[in-house]
Amino acid sequence: MAFFMKYILTILIFFPTVAVLILLPINKKNEGLLRNLATLLSLLEFIASYYLFIYFRPDTYKFQFVEKFNWIPSFGASYFLGIDGISLFLILLTTLLTFVSLLSSYRYIKDHVKEFVILMLLLETFMLGTFAALDILLFYVFWEFMLLPMYFIIGMWGTGKRIYSAVKFFLYTLAGSLIMLFGLIYIFIIHYQQTGNFTFNLIRLYNTSIPVNLQILLFIALFLGFAIKVPIFPFHTWLPDAHTEAPTAGSVILAGVLLKFGIYGFFRFAIPLLPNAAQILAPYIVVIGVIGILYGAFVSIVQKDLKRLVAFSSVSHMGFIMVGLFAFTAISINGAVYQLLNHGVDTGALFLFVGMIYERMHTRQIKDLGGIAKKAPILTVLFLTSVLASVGLPGLNGFIGEFLILIGSFRSYPVLTIIGTSGIIFAAVYLLWMFQRVMFQDPHDQTAPYNHHLESFDDMNLREIITVLPLIILMFLMGFYPDPFLDRIGPSVLHFLTMLNHHKIIYNAIKIKTGLSNA
Amino acid sequence: MHNIMPAIYGLNSLEKSMLSIIPEAVIILFAFIVLFITFFEKIAKSKNSYYLSLIGIAFSILYVVMLSGRNLTGFYGSVVFNGYDVFLFIAILLSGFLTVLVSKDYIENFDVPYPEYYSIILFGISAMMFLVSSNNLIMVFISLEFMSICAYILTGYIRGNTRSTEAALKYLILGTFASAFLIFGSVFIYAAVGHLNLNSIHTYLENISYVKHGSDLILNGISEYLSIGLLLFMIGLAFKMSLFPFHAWTPDAYDGAPTPITSFMATGIKIAAFAVFLRIYLLIYNYNVINFNDILWVLAVLSMTFGNIAAILSTNIKRLLAYSSIAQAGYILIGIIGGGFYGYSGTLFYLFAYIFMTAGAFAVVIIFENSDIASLDIKKYSGVGYKYPFISAAMAFFMLSLAGIPVTSGFMGKFYVFSAAVKSGYYWLVFIALLNSAFAAYYYIKVIVKMYMPDKEDSNVSCIAAEGKNYGIVNGNISEGIMLAIIICLFFTLIMGVYPQIFINFANYSAASLASL
Repeated sequence: MAFFMKYILTILIFFPTVAVLILLPINKKNEGLLRNLATLLSLLEFIASYYLFIYFRPDTYKFQFVEKFNWIPSFGASYFLGIDGISLFLILLTTLLTFVSLLSSYRYIKDHVKEFVILMLLLETFMLGTFAALDILLFYVFWEFMLLPMYFIIGMWGTGKRIYSAVKFFLYTLAGSLIMLFGLIYIFIIHYQQTGNFTFNLIRLYNTSIPVNLQILLFIALFLGFAIKVPIFPFHTWLPDAHTEAPTAGSVILAGVLLKFGIYGFFRFAIPLLPNAAQILAPYIVVIGVIGILYGAFVSIVQKDLKRLVAFSSVSHMGFIMVGLFAFTAISINGAVYQLLNHGVDTGALFLFVGMIYERMHTRQIKDLGGIAKKAPILTVLFLTSVLASVGLPGLNGFIGEFLILIGSFRSYPVLTIIGTSGIIFAAVYLLWMFQRVMFQDPHDQTAPYNHHLESFDDMNLREIITVLPLIILMFLMGFYPDPFLDRIGPSVLHFLTMLNHHKIIYNAIKIKTGLSNA
Repeated sequence: MHNIMPAIYGLNSLEKSMLSIIPEAVIILFAFIVLFITFFEKIAKSKNSYYLSLIGIAFSILYVVMLSGRNLTGFYGSVVFNGYDVFLFIAILLSGFLTVLVSKDYIENFDVPYPEYYSIILFGISAMMFLVSSNNLIMVFISLEFMSICAYILTGYIRGNTRSTEAALKYLILGTFASAFLIFGSVFIYAAVGHLNLNSIHTYLENISYVKHGSDLILNGISEYLSIGLLLFMIGLAFKMSLFPFHAWTPDAYDGAPTPITSFMATGIKIAAFAVFLRIYLLIYNYNVINFNDILWVLAVLSMTFGNIAAILSTNIKRLLAYSSIAQAGYILIGIIGGGFYGYSGTLFYLFAYIFMTAGAFAVVIIFENSDIASLDIKKYSGVGYKYPFISAAMAFFMLSLAGIPVTSGFMGKFYVFSAAVKSGYYWLVFIALLNSAFAAYYYIKVIVKMYMPDKEDSNVSCIAAEGKNYGIVNGNISEGIMLAIIICLFFTLIMGVYPQIFINFANYSAASLASL
């Protein structure tokens, strides 16, 4: 047990890889065993990750469960892991959603089952590694390799223009990552020039002082990498394609975890490494965020494809989170992080329901759907819960996050926040209207031919209920009792702000000093 | 030079000279043994020559390891053997080893004598080793020619095949042209400084540059000759490194040559050319009025960009890899431009990583080609991922390594050279190179897309659809040699990507003895 607790992060990260090695010798044809074993192992992983939550100390901002070994001494790179309150919950979200999406794909994934479960488990390893890495090179290795399993999942099990979407997803994010790598190498070299040491240790790199003009350029480089991953408004074009064509499990992971990496990257890397640039550029980024909120909402309203609608709603939600993060107040950042988790839970659940409807109706066109409510009461209730959570109904989780973000950012950007708030109203419009059309619309409507799959529409079976149940429980839990979450997020957020203000004070002092000397 | 030569066991001068070329001598000995086999028709038909070549290379590696740590100079300073050579000899010998491993099945498909084939490969390896260890302009020229002649013969080895012959002829004509540039450059350098030995030239130039401020006249007198000479010399070597404006032979020769030889050219010849260029660059090019780094900057950018654009347009896997090797040459050059200990070590690391990813990719191509000669079209790879999981996964891994995705040696190599260049202030170069990497990922991914995500319209051209024919691989008939080559390549590509420190130490050791020259 002591060994387990000491190396818990390493064990959690590489347990899925070990699971892959267990699955490799199993015959391809034995699909039932492969699925069940993979799901079971991912459940085990989730239970094991719960230990992090139990033993996590909420009274400190410092990184916990730290592990550090030399990796490449010549570059000063080390195998350096550790988590704070934010990565804690993102890790829990990752393990939960991997389990959920493996469980959800029993019906959808029919061929190449072995390859599928192996890729999902590999993806889990790299996602967890990205959240736990505190060494920039290690982070980058996990970050970029993560693209590959996802690329295969979209390309091999997707629908429609799957190859186009997969390649677009891969190249778009790769281009962003490489530009980000340029920025990271640059920061690494600047630190070397200042101290004479090669190091990728994030905590030491935080102390690098970089001239403000250079910071802005480097921030733009890092911004491109993270913004494409988020995705923020002008860089979002890969997202609807990838989400729409991906299999359900892929969409859940993509929306639930992969989109979080962009925000996490800003929080952990871009802003603390380049604090002055972040503060100078924050107003512009908030504007982009607000545009994203409105753009995502408007485009969602007119979508004809159910899955594309949910995908665009992510763009809108991510706009909220960006506004919350770059408002730089304690409340708004808490809200942004909380909303990050909410988005994973809510949108993940929405994609699961969309997947279930697609499996039964064989179409995602909203006009061809309708009348499902009569056939499937359980599905309707649970789907409605997730829709309302996503809209932000009080009592469900979405409300807490959006409320905190809006209160917090109002202090920094009142006008923009008011404009952004209208996004909630539009969210109600597109989500509820979508729900009305999909569930209650008269299926014998003259506008579209009658969908005969509706006759054999069966309600959710036990496996599907178990799949979504953890997410539904979380929606209520996070909606009614956010304290256990905010308690652990809080100290890290406060430390983040302290670091930021410290740099701001120094920067202002320098400005005043130079101003005086000029005068 | 003679005074730094260590006294070893009281040997006389000739014996000391011989000691410095033992690894090459072993290879040449085995090359002759393999050649003599052809006198006896009965033995020549057996597989002796294949095994003898492998044993010869293994012996040579053994001698390199035994001699490592020594600083040897031979033949009046025209051949040196130090840590730099240890690293590159091992790289070249491994490249040769992989070439011989993948050759057996391929060459037996054709009606050509094969002991000579192996013998010429061995001669080629020894020529590359001589090229790396040469420390004299004449020696550079002779070993470069020796290496090129082996390459010309091997390119056109499949006599009945018009493409092979055409490729050999093109390569010969253009190669001779490049050699003319090289020898012309040597003449100008000699005219300027009056020395042929690289160390003497280095010392001479260093002395001049120390007194530069006092006597501009001395430098002015020779600088025109020296600049022209160095420029011409560089063109001769750039041809072998297949850098952009001098690359024209590469796609044709790579495409037409027997695939194992393509692999040999892409790994061995390129490494040898880069190695000798790096040595000469460090010794001579730094002391001149022209800033050669700027010229290399342009060459690197052009090679990367051109190679990547042309690779995107090609549909033949060998041509794709040929253009990709032009682009890779551009990336390797970034390490040399970046310079410093860090940059040279990075260049060597990248070269070492480059062998395994390229040779591995070619080994997979050879497997598919052995089964069906027409399978060089990328379309033919459609859906092979499900049929042959292991070799396809290996191919995907090599492609990702060439694209520079993490967990592979390609990423570590790129990271190494790029950070060296950033360290020296070449921000734009690195920025362009990174954009190029993103761009290049497209065509490497294209191969993976074909293997794992077949389109419906492709399935009628794929290997899978045409089940009736006798595909070697369908019968599970992949020879151990190629499998071993793929496993070696996979091993090194993975290890250098996950835990590169041992190889970095090795490259550092090598770069240190290069810098101390």
